[in-house]
Amino acid sequence: MNKKIIIFIISFVATGIICHLFLNSYIQALVISFMINAIMALSLNFITGVANQFSLGQAGFMALGAYTSAVLTKQFLGDSWFLIPLTALIGAGVSALAGYLVSLPSFKLKGDYLAIVTMGFAEIVRVIILNWDHVGGPRGYNAIVKWPQFLISYSATGLFLILTFMVLYHLKISWFGRNLWALNEDEIAAEVMGAAVAKNKRTAFLISSFFAGLGGALYGHHLGYISPGSFSFLMSVQILIYAVFGGLGSMSGSVLAAFILTALPEILRSLPTGGIDLRMIIFPILLIVMMILRPQGLLGRKELFESKQK
Amino acid sequence: MQEFLQHTLNGLSFGSVYALVALGYTMVYGILAMINFAHSDIYMMGAFGAFYVIRFFNMGDPSPLHFTIGLLASMIFAGFIGFCVEKFAYKPLRKSDKMNVLITAIGVSILFEFGGQIVFGADPKSFPQLLSNEVVFTFSDISFQMVDIMIYVVTFISLIGLSYLINKTQTGRAMRAVSSRPDIAPLMGINSNKIISTTFVVGSVLAGIAAVLVAIKYPKIDPMMGVKIGTSSFVAAVFGGIGSLPGAVIGGYILGLGEYYLVGYGASTYKEALSFSLLILVLLLKPAGLMGTKTKEKI
Repeated sequence: MNKKIIIFIISFVATGIICHLFLNSYIQALVISFMINAIMALSLNFITGVANQFSLGQAGFMALGAYTSAVLTKQFLGDSWFLIPLTALIGAGVSALAGYLVSLPSFKLKGDYLAIVTMGFAEIVRVIILNWDHVGGPRGYNAIVKWPQFLISYSATGLFLILTFMVLYHLKISWFGRNLWALNEDEIAAEVMGAAVAKNKRTAFLISSFFAGLGGALYGHHLGYISPGSFSFLMSVQILIYAVFGGLGSMSGSVLAAFILTALPEILRSLPTGGIDLRMIIFPILLIVMMILRPQGLLGRKELFESKQK
Repeated sequence: MQEFLQHTLNGLSFGSVYALVALGYTMVYGILAMINFAHSDIYMMGAFGAFYVIRFFNMGDPSPLHFTIGLLASMIFAGFIGFCVEKFAYKPLRKSDKMNVLITAIGVSILFEFGGQIVFGADPKSFPQLLSNEVVFTFSDISFQMVDIMIYVVTFISLIGLSYLINKTQTGRAMRAVSSRPDIAPLMGINSNKIISTTFVVGSVLAGIAAVLVAIKYPKIDPMMGVKIGTSSFVAAVFGGIGSLPGAVIGGYILGLGEYYLVGYGASTYKEALSFSLLILVLLLKPAGLMGTKTKEKI
């Protein structure tokens, strides 16, 4: 295992240095957005894949994290980039708090209804930001502090991705994850076996919204500009597509899917589409075909590095 | 007072449209227990179907005949799209997990919206004025236009027709059977696939009617036109109790009136948030909606 970790660290650093030295800033930005997409996909995968609670409001939590962190750095902490990790965590905390508040009444509902409530929550967050002049309203919030150069941005975002992955993966294989899995398989049976249904679901929702907020904060500091339009229903759907494509319940699947689906539209960018976002054509087709032919996603519930089932 | 009446009038027109679209949501939910996210896009496709048929025959000037043809074109086109969506996207998933169907529905919806932007163009098109703009009569300073009257009349006829179909015909009986016991209905000799398909077509036709009415009242159509109306109608359907037909109509009118009072008296930018807040409140306080039936979880 130790050997694998060393190899991973070396390849992580090497990728960063190669990107820094040989590739242009466009591809560098893509690498960062891949990592942010992966964080978002992981956060959704935890609540939807592991705990089987369908959330369509990930963009709302993302917006909370992004705006909190952006406002904190710009207005209170004097534009210093080395505080970004701190404010990003605060943004994630705010998002987690909101997630907890949403989850308090929501788990009386299940399935479709929970999807609607979370979707409604995201929409309400968006409309409130839209009407809030202090943070720019519909014009968006610009000139957010950015990371000074690619290597710092790469390593910080990368470390946050690794953190997210490790935490969520270990939660998945912990007793807590197994509890959630039991709920996922058969709620009533799990309750009979002594799993605290509502409490476990709430905790899972809180964890998921924490990482969604973290991803949102990093998104804001990566682009330097956020607007309510970036956190619309389409963003939630995009995150959902990453998670579903990789396989609900598979953490490494989400990262893989985020990588493929971030790279694919860029490769196809040369096709003539008349200024339409090509992702929004490829993704739904992929989604529909996937649901019909391979509903469990690329990896199902398995992980890439688990060679044999324990 | 006059202002209030005017808002009421507008609210009722929009309420009619919401009711028509909400019926589609609620019928599909009643029969398949799925939220048909693509319904708002079937509505959009209906408007575009009418637009192209009218342009093809060059019938852009106001006349009752042209209005009827536009309406029929939209109904047929929307019904056809609804049929295809059900056949190619939802039918292969009849046996699979509920979440998969929901995800597919979202996929279909996005595909129509962005595919529509490529096929039709993303810029809004101006829908021909199929009904004359003249004021038919005035009542205490409120003028009733032809369009508004036609919205009420057409909605009324459609609702009567739907109620006849559901309550009096053999197909309607089969629909109710499949909706109440999907596992038993096939044993009684009902071809449930055919009934589900019919339900989709009927819901889509209603959406097509609504689309033409809206397109005549607000003559700008674009591939994203379904999103706002779809969201509000969906809220109306849940508010009225999803799965219940009278609930969808009542929900549609309440939401239409509510939104127009809200827009009329100030808070127009909060319109969408309000409909969702209302929705969340309803779901938390009375999850079955106004007219819905409460289902018990069985082991």
